[in-house]
Formats: sequence, structure tokens, C-alpha cells
Amino acid sequence: MSTARPTLAGTGALVRFALRRDRLRLPLWIALGAGLVASQSVSSQTLYDSPAALVAYRDSVGSNAATIAFAGPPVGLSTVAGAVAFEISASVMLAAALMAMFTTGRHTRADEEAGRTELIRAGRVGRHAPLIAAVLVSALACVAMALAIGLVGTATGLPTGGSFLLGASVGACGLVFTGIAAVAAQVTESTRSAYGIVGAVFGVAFVLRAVGDINGSWLVWASPVGWAQAVHPFSDDRVLPLLLCLVATAGLVAAAMTLLDHRDLGSGLLPARPGPPRAGPLLGSPLGLAIRLQRAALIAWAVSLALLGAVYGGVGDAVETLFADNPQAQVFFPGASSAGLVEAYLATIFSINALLAAAYAVSSVLRARAEESAGRAESVLATATSRGAWLGSHVTVALLGSALLVVLSGAATALVRGLSSGDLGSFGRLFAASLAYVPAVWAVAALAVALVGLAPRIATGAAWGGVAYVVVVAMVAQALDWPGWVGDLSPFAWTPLVPIEAWTLPVAVGLGAVVLVLLAVGFGAFRHRDLSTG
Amino acid sequence: MDSAVSVSGLVKTFGATRALDGLDLEIATGEVHGFLGPNGSGKSTTIRVLLGLLRPDSGTVRLLDGDPWHDAVALHRRLAYVPGDVTLWPQISGGEAIDLLGRLRGGLDPARRADLLERFDLDPTKKARSYSKGNRQKVALVAALASDAELLIPDEPTSGLDPLMEAVFQENIREVRAQGRTVLLSSHILAEAEALCDRVSIIRHGRTEQSGSLSELRHLTRTSIAAETARPVTGLDSLPGVHDAAIRDGRVRFDVDTDHLDGVLRHLAAFGVRSLNSAPPTLEELFLRHYGDELAEDGVRLAGTDR
Repeated sequence: MSTARPTLAGTGALVRFALRRDRLRLPLWIALGAGLVASQSVSSQTLYDSPAALVAYRDSVGSNAATIAFAGPPVGLSTVAGAVAFEISASVMLAAALMAMFTTGRHTRADEEAGRTELIRAGRVGRHAPLIAAVLVSALACVAMALAIGLVGTATGLPTGGSFLLGASVGACGLVFTGIAAVAAQVTESTRSAYGIVGAVFGVAFVLRAVGDINGSWLVWASPVGWAQAVHPFSDDRVLPLLLCLVATAGLVAAAMTLLDHRDLGSGLLPARPGPPRAGPLLGSPLGLAIRLQRAALIAWAVSLALLGAVYGGVGDAVETLFADNPQAQVFFPGASSAGLVEAYLATIFSINALLAAAYAVSSVLRARAEESAGRAESVLATATSRGAWLGSHVTVALLGSALLVVLSGAATALVRGLSSGDLGSFGRLFAASLAYVPAVWAVAALAVALVGLAPRIATGAAWGGVAYVVVVAMVAQALDWPGWVGDLSPFAWTPLVPIEAWTLPVAVGLGAVVLVLLAVGFGAFRHRDLSTG
Repeated sequence: MDSAVSVSGLVKTFGATRALDGLDLEIATGEVHGFLGPNGSGKSTTIRVLLGLLRPDSGTVRLLDGDPWHDAVALHRRLAYVPGDVTLWPQISGGEAIDLLGRLRGGLDPARRADLLERFDLDPTKKARSYSKGNRQKVALVAALASDAELLIPDEPTSGLDPLMEAVFQENIREVRAQGRTVLLSSHILAEAEALCDRVSIIRHGRTEQSGSLSELRHLTRTSIAAETARPVTGLDSLPGVHDAAIRDGRVRFDVDTDHLDGVLRHLAAFGVRSLNSAPPTLEELFLRHYGDELAEDGVRLAGTDR
């Protein structure tokens, strides 16, 4: 394959190879994006089948800061199609961003870290070829997802132009995160840290647009997710934000290429610093090792969740303002007080924080599986370390770490809410309320432990599937009008929405029992199976 | 306790693959035992069973008078393992990894640690991410050799080391043997096994093909003879134990079963020997004869099997 620029030689072959490697993954991601839109389209058209239902919906949503915070700008709600875009765009954009991050990361830094890029680059392959091939594959996937969303939108009865514009906005979000992932892959030596950077950027971008959408401020324009949502499909049909996304993507990819030119293969931007010649006291036990391995990730999560909790605690005021400004809403929620709405909002915030803590807990449990498949567990288990102690060390970090995240984010939310409302006396009550979600978090983590013990080869995918399930149930199950039993399996569905609902001992005890059973299954199975590498 | 390791009839399957198919292995306390076999013959699987990382399907396995699966933790205090493919934590320095593995095993000797770092010329401040394969191997070797373990289990320990470091490794193994400790050395580098091992076991397809001391095994193989004689040699083919004889211009080349060496040399002497070259049987030759048969069936010819 010859190309004009020698630094791009071999790009075509690498693109074909990457598509071959991802022939299952990418269609699944694209189907996920299209499936979410199709499901939302069908259920919204069933739910809001009369103008009156749509008006009621618009009034309730327009006054609900929690919904706006997690969905997007409340525009175009006078049509069902606009409601579909409002409800689902944030979830699909998250899916597109994750697809872009994993696709770009896997074909750049992950290959480089594993030494595969060295092998590839020793062939007739230009310096920029692996990076550009990864970007092209990710971009192709984004375009495919955009087209798929346009098609399913049209097929389920939404206006054609708007459907494809909605798809384009999702694809554009994916493109920007392709660029962000391309830059992150140049900066760090480890794939894990690169994903951490992209995740943090998405988190910041999401919070910026949430605050911007609630306050109607310019902050939306500081966020790539905000740009993508500013397309306003089915109402304003703006194209300019799409161009902004394309320009940003091009700039990011150019920056990644420049960074690549200024570093050695295998290294990041920061020079590797020497480590200590002797181990400190921490590295003397399996638990110490697990803490050391997971410390950086836990600190990053803790800071992010504390900030997120503080931001959402501070938005509590806007909930009251929106309610007071909206007479229809006061009709729609008969007997509701603004204080009650704030409580409902806080309950949503606490459960969202708990869902994020559950995601952390699963990633932390799966660290054990990653250690096993990389062969590092073998070195440790060949010493006087029992299987139980080894798995227990990672599980301890997962359970205590996720509890710490719930505590920190709950405390931050309660504190900032107390400060902004001038009622610091509410701190203790709100903080305690946030802790009600810990058993549900642990149940998701314990499921991951059981999977690691029982089915190591599929544990990673299955455990993340569990996280996706509880997130989908919590965020969209009601809007999607799924049968009740679908959601009843989620531990978050069992948990009362404290503080609007009362905490109950039986639920906490029941979830605790589930946690213990799953942990016992996981540890028991792990003690009795072969170690499985690769 | 006479046996450090005693394995009989060990079977381990992975799905349809029969990785170990009735393997036997006997290692006496205090010996350096070579565990030889080509790639994929089951060496690492056997070691993982001995470490209690894999559970055997059938057969008996005893290690230091214990059951490797049930007594894993207690046994691991007394042994040190060097994996064939050493993977370390990318963000942890070599020195930290050595200390960690040593402490988890129950402590290591700081003086010996320092000595080994120097002999293996290893920089302990580098993060594992930046180590080469050989340097990662050195980390695992230093951690294992700095311990007081009764049993060392290096799995192809020198595959990433340069010849200088290989010599350092051999020196260390000799010291370990002098201290009366036991070594199970898995390898496919035959010169290394020849230099270090008291006894070897050769495995193929998950089964033990040969086991014994080097001199016992040499007995089973052939010596290559090349001689120049005053008169043309006759009647060589009819002698027992002679193979592949070739006579040309007063020179004769043949292989002889080591058992029949004496008779053949007497026969040769009658023709007036002017010069004599004999190549002692090497482990390599033994190895090639064992596996060469199989390769020959597949149409592959090996230099060592032609002679």
C-alpha cells in the first residue's frame, strides 16, 4: 500500500487489520447506540400519544433540574421526537465516547504497551500509521453509529432529517473523544491511565454541560458533550455545532501526531522516573500490594466523585428556582413543595453517585482478574500467600474503596447543599441518607467477585454487563416502559430512594445477605479452580 | 526425606487438550534435576501443578512431603519459583518487586540480595515497565536466590539472559547445590542442563520419556567415531551397535551405541589406526534422537540425526 506521505505508509493495511480484530466489538457498540434510540423512540411514542400527555411531560421535565442535569438541554419538548432526543442523547453520547475511547486506545497505547506496535513499526509502516489507522477505525465506527441511529429513528417513525441529525450529533461526540483518546494515548505510558484521562475529561465535560443546561449559561460551550447536544435535532436543527466538533477533532488528532513525533516508542511524554531501590513497609503483604496497585485509581475516583457531589449539591438551589418559576409544574405535582422536589433531586444524586461507586468497585474487583490473566498473580500465589488472602486483598480495596467514594460524595453533596441553602443542620441527615446506597454498591461488586471465581474468562465482560444493567435500570427503565421484573433484579431497585423514602432495615439486611452469599460463592470457587492466565 | 518431588501418573487436561498424560518425576533431596523437553511438552504445566496453581485430574503428586494443592501456603514458604515468562507490575521498581516477593515468601537475606544485585548487574531503581525480558528475569532470579528456600524451581530461567549472566546463574545454582538445597531446573538449553544437572528427566507430549543421571543417559546414546586407518576397514556393518558407517579414501565415519564401543574399537585396531576422533554423546544428540524421529516423520531433517 503506497501513500503520498511515508509516515503514513501501511495505514490502509492497519485499518483492515484493526477492523478484522474488532469485527465483533464495533457492531455491538453500534447496535447498543442504535438500540437505545430505537427503544426510546418506541416507548416515548407510546407514552406521549396525546398532545395533553406531551404537555404534561414538557412541564414536568422543564422544571426538574435532576432530569436536565442527566439528560441535556430541555429544548424541542413540544414534539415526541424532541422528547426522544432529550431523553436518550446523553446515554448514547456516553456510549459513543466509550466506543471511541476503547477503539482508539486499544489500537494505539495498548498495542504499544504490549510491544505489538514495535513489531508492526519494524515493518514497512510509517511512524504515524498506527495512530491514524486507529483514529480512522474509530471515526468509521462513529459514522456507522450515526447512520444506524438515523436509520432506526426513521424506521420507528421519527422525522428523517432530525433522526440523521441526532445520529450525527452522537457521532460527532464520538469523534471528539476519538481525538481526546488519541492525545491521551500519547501522554501516558499505560493504557489504564490513558483511559483514566479520557474518563475524567468526559466527566468534566458532562458536569460543565449539566450546570450550563440548568442555569442556561455559556458553560455548555466549554464542553464537547455540550457542543454535540447543542445541535438540538427535531427543533432548531443546528449544523454549526457539528462543524465545531469536526474542527476540534482535527485539532486533537494533529496535536496527537505532533506529540507522537516528540517521544520515543513505548514511552509517554513524561520521562520515566526511577523508583525506590527498596520496598517501603506497605509492600509486605497481599493487602499492601493491592493498595499500592489501586491507590492512584482510587484517589482519582475519590477526587472526581467529591467534586461531582459538590457540584450537584450546589445545583440544589436551581431546583427550587425552576419549580417556583413554573406554574404548570406546580399543577403537575399536586401538593408538591419545592423542598420535596429538592429531596427528590438529592435522592437522584445519591443514587447516581452510588452507581459511579459501583462502577469503581467493579473495576477494582476486576483488577484481581487482570493480575491473574497477566500472570502476575502466579508470582504472588507461588509465595506463602493463600488464594483467599490474595483475592481478599483486592476485594477489600474494592469494598472499602467504594464505601469511601459514597461517603466522600455524600458528604460533599450534603455540605455544599447545607452551605448554599443556609441550613447546615441538614448535613447530618443528608449525609446519613447517602450511606443508604452502600449495600447496593457492594452487591454489584460482590457479583463481580462471584464471576471472577466462577467464570474467569468471561468475568470482565459479564461484570461490566452487570454495571450497565443497573445503570440502565436506574436511568431509563421507567422512561422505556419495560416490564417491572426487568428492573427488579437490580439491587438499586430494592434500595429505597432515601431521603424521599424511608431507610428500612430489612432491605439493608437482605442486600447484606446477598453480598455475603455472592462473596462466599466467589471465594469458594476461586479456591477450587485452576489459575487461568491469558 | 529422600524425595523432594515425587510425581506419578500425573494427568492434566484443558478441555480436549491432554497437557500431561501420565507424567512421572522423581527428584531426590539435594540434587539439581534437569527437566527437559521441547516447547509445549508440559514442563510449565507440571511446575504449575507442583505449585498448586493448577489442580491435577489424576495421579499422585508429593512436594517436600506435602500435597501441593492442599498445603500450598505452607509449602511455598520452603520453595522459590522463577516463572518462565516473568511479568512484573509496570509501576513498581525492580527493587520493590524483589522485596515484595521475598517478604511474601517469608523474608530474604539483605546481604545476599545486595550481592546478587551486583553479580547480576541489575539496577533496582528502574520501574518494571522499562525492564527488558532479561532484566525482568533477573528480578525474579534475585528474589528467588536471596531466599533460604529448600527447593528452587526456575522455569527456563536463562532464556532472556546473555552468556555472561548465564554463567552467573550457573555459578549461583552450584552454590545452592553446595548448600544441600534442591533445584528443579526446567530448560530446553541442553548445555545448561549438562553443566548443572545431576539427573535429568526428558518429557514429551506430557509423558516422561527418559529419566536418569547424565552418565546413565549417555549410555543410551551413540558415540560418533571418525578414524583414519592404514588399510581399508571391512566388516564394520556386521558388528553389533554400528550405524551409518561410511568409508571413503581410508577414512571411516560411523556412530556406535555406547554399549558396543569396546568391541568396535578392537575391530578397528586391526586395520592400523592412524588417527581417531570420537565425539562424546551429548544431551543434545540424545534430545535430537528422541524428537528427531518425530520430525523426520514430518519430513524435517536435522543435522544431528544425519550422521
